Parts: sequence; C-alpha cells; structure tokens
Amino acid sequence: MRRVLILPVLAIVLTAALLSVAVYSESQWSMREYDKALRETVALPSIAIGTNYEGTRNPLIEVFVRSLYDVPGGYDYIVSSSFIDTPIWLRDFRETIPGFNFTAVKG
Amino acid sequence: MRYMIRKHKNLLNYSFDCLRRYRMRTAVILITFLVATTMISAVLFTKDGLEREAEFSVQSAPDLTLQYLKGGRVEPINTSYTSLISGIPGVEKVLKRTWGYAGIGQYTFVVVGLDPEGLNYSRGVITSLEEGRFLTPEDEGTGNIVIGKLLAYMLDVRVGDDIILLSESVEANKFHIVGLFSDASSIYTADMILMSLEDANKFFSMPEGQVTDLCVYVSPAEDPVNVASKMNSIPNLRVLDQDLLLRGYKAAYGARGGIFTTLWTILLVAIALIAFSQAIVVGHESQFEVGLLKTFGFSTLDIIEVRLVESLVLGFFATSLGMLLGFSYAAFLNAPGLVDILLGWAYLPREFRLPVYVSLQSVFSIYAVTVIPLLITTVVPAWLNAITDPELAMRRAAA
Repeated sequence: MRRVLILPVLAIVLTAALLSVAVYSESQWSMREYDKALRETVALPSIAIGTNYEGTRNPLIEVFVRSLYDVPGGYDYIVSSSFIDTPIWLRDFRETIPGFNFTAVKG
Repeated sequence: MRYMIRKHKNLLNYSFDCLRRYRMRTAVILITFLVATTMISAVLFTKDGLEREAEFSVQSAPDLTLQYLKGGRVEPINTSYTSLISGIPGVEKVLKRTWGYAGIGQYTFVVVGLDPEGLNYSRGVITSLEEGRFLTPEDEGTGNIVIGKLLAYMLDVRVGDDIILLSESVEANKFHIVGLFSDASSIYTADMILMSLEDANKFFSMPEGQVTDLCVYVSPAEDPVNVASKMNSIPNLRVLDQDLLLRGYKAAYGARGGIFTTLWTILLVAIALIAFSQAIVVGHESQFEVGLLKTFGFSTLDIIEVRLVESLVLGFFATSLGMLLGFSYAAFLNAPGLVDILLGWAYLPREFRLPVYVSLQSVFSIYAVTVIPLLITTVVPAWLNAITDPELAMRRAAA
C-alpha cells in the first residue's frame, strides 16, 4: 500500500471500529441484566458513586443542594448549580421539575 | 463520467499527499485533537454509564416515595401515615424505611434499615451475594447486617465477624455480618450496610414511631401519578414518583459531567484556534501552491475539495482514535485521575469497574463538535486563497 494512503485508510478503519464499539455497547446496555431483585428490595433510587458528595442517595432534595449545600433558604440551587454545565443542552435544566416547587406539589 | 471520476481520484491523491507534505500542521492537529477527544470521551462515556445505572436504580425504586416536610425541609415521617396511605384506592403496599449515613474514618457509608414486611414481599431471588445470606424477617432487632465489598475491604472483615459502629449519638453499636455483597453489584452496594428496620432506628436514635420515609407500591393496574394525586390533601406530605427521581438524578450526573464539559469547551476553542493558525502559517506556502494550481487549471471548488478531504481525513482519524483511547482508558483502566479529581467521585473500591456506555448519541456529538470546526477553520482560509488572482497570489507568496 502506498504510504500516503495509510492515514486515510486508518481513518476509515478507526471510525468503523468506533461505530462497532458504540453499536455493541448500545446492544449490551439494552439487554443488561442487573441485580433487579436486590435494588427493588433495598429501594434506594441511586448508585454507590459519590457517597462523599453530599449524599446523592437521598431522593431528590440533596441532589439539588449539592453545590452550596444546606445553607438556609438553599432549596432552589438547581440554577446556581447548573453553571457547571450547559443548561440549554439539558432538558432537565430547561424544564421545571415538578415536586421541586413544594407549593405545586401540594396543589 | 469517466473523466469526472478520474479527476476526483486525482484530487483525492493530491490531498493525501498534502497530509504528508505539511507534516507539522498534520502533527499539531492530530495531537491536539487526540488529547481533547480522549479526555472528553472518557468522561462522557462514563457519565452516560452512570446515568444508565442510576436509571436502573430508579426503575427499581418504589412507585412513590413519601417524605415528611416541615418548613420545606425533610424530617422523619410518623409511621401513623402508613395506615392512612394504605387506605387510598390503588395502593398495594406501604413499607417503612430508615436510612442515613454513617462515617467510618474519612468515608461515608449508607446504612439502610429494611421493613421486615418488605423482605417477605416477593421480587425474585437475590443473587448478588458473594458469601453468606440476605436478611430475613427473623433478623429484626438481632444486629445482623449484610455489607458491601468496600466496607469489608476497609475493615478487613468477612461473614461471621462482628463490627462496632459509632452512631451520631456517640453510642457504640455492635453488628454481626451475615452476608457480603458481590463485586457484580458493587455499583449499588459498595458502600452499603443493610440491616433490619429496628436496628437502623436504634442506630440513628430515631424517635419512637418515626422512620426516614415511606415506600408506596401501587397496584399494577393503577397509574402511580393518579394514586399520587389522591395524596395531595394529606398534610406535610411530599410525594416523589419515579419520573421525578429519574429527572433529578439525570440533572445531577449531567452537572457532574458538566465541569469537564466547560473545560472541554475551552479546550475546543483553543484547538480550533490552533487549527486556524496552522492554516494561516502554512498559508504563505499554500498561497503559492494555490496560485500555481489555478494556473494549471484547478478551479476554486477543486482547491476547496482538496482541503476538505484533508480535514475530513485528519478529523476522523484523530477523533475516532481519541474516542477509542478514551473508551479504553475508562473501561479497562477505570479512568485513573480523571473521575477522582474532576468529577468529585470520592473513591472507588478496588474491585469496582466503572460503567461505561458508548452511546451513538455521544459519539456523533463528539464528531460534530470536533470535525465541523476543523472543516471550517481549514476550508475558509483555503477558499480565501483560492478566490485570489493566481498571479497576485504567487507574487504575494514570493514577496
């Protein structure tokens, strides 16, 4: 093979390899068997990552106060904590999260 | 037709030759793109994996989780709510749960107390144990616990051992280990200490008749949202459904990945500038070349095609290789240094494997934000050169 063709051929091969990995990963995750019975019994809706990170296992509340933690009046930090991402990319940041506004929950 | 094919083939060959001829530009773009895409893909793929794992957990969560609010803050809920909630049409079961955090050394572990009634509530066989057994209703108040691998590793304990945990109220509590979770469930159980509800209430010194929250299971025929709406008038009650939890956790993991996204955006701008400056630096050389090519009969479109092909080859090679390296770095090496420092994930057990999810969406997103800017920053200078009068271009380049 001519030397000038090495880079273009590798570009095609690597791109094909990456797409194969992605398709394989998608199919693996869609068929993933996890410890469902255990998770249903324990019923905590989170994972073990970040347990030193302001208690992500707590349903909802502590997730949102993670940035400035639990200072008085600090229950609406979803906006202030969104500065570390690009909010417009995230549907979750654009939409109002029901239940976050307590008044709305109480109807 | 044959002429057109031959022409494009020649243009392709010429572009490939340019990649070799402008070695410095090719090397600079390759290295910068490789570094950027390796780092960002490792973080994105890991973030996607964590989000998926969190999704699994949320899907396994109760249909509704009830918390007690006082002054807008969450406090322990009285167990008298159980009978009130059970009477609501559509509610199949209400389980009590007490849980919280326990500090051991500099680490925080999660202690969960399970309702004995819930242990009888059949959900299938729990196979996530490496050694020993899971809790049964008979373990209520006995001090028997099942622990995750991280705790077992840190304290160097195994099934049959006793451990003493100091509670918030500075009381020593003795527990007996009856089970050890397996590596396969580490993502969920690494930091977990499971015990009976009575033991957890004692450990956390919960006031009599109070628990952390209530788990509500709705009849399969009922819509949890409709059942939740019937709880609106119950005082001080906060109702969380699965969808709400899922969106909350997605936002949380999105934000964690976000600190890196911000850095990455800055890095991408820098890379685009490097690519642009490289295009300008070689501009003088290529100005002469473009003038010469136009003299030989190349059109503006031909010149743009040459640069376009060069950029596509460079972009796809560097980005694809970078993503494959990023995937390997996260999946096989557990992304050392990256998750700990940048994303605030405090620590990982030795046996723990990061969940890595190479989603097509992330792959195409990375291509979009790397290859397209590269195309723009290289094709635009080429176009500016190509529309200049060839003689003038060669004179300028020679000057």
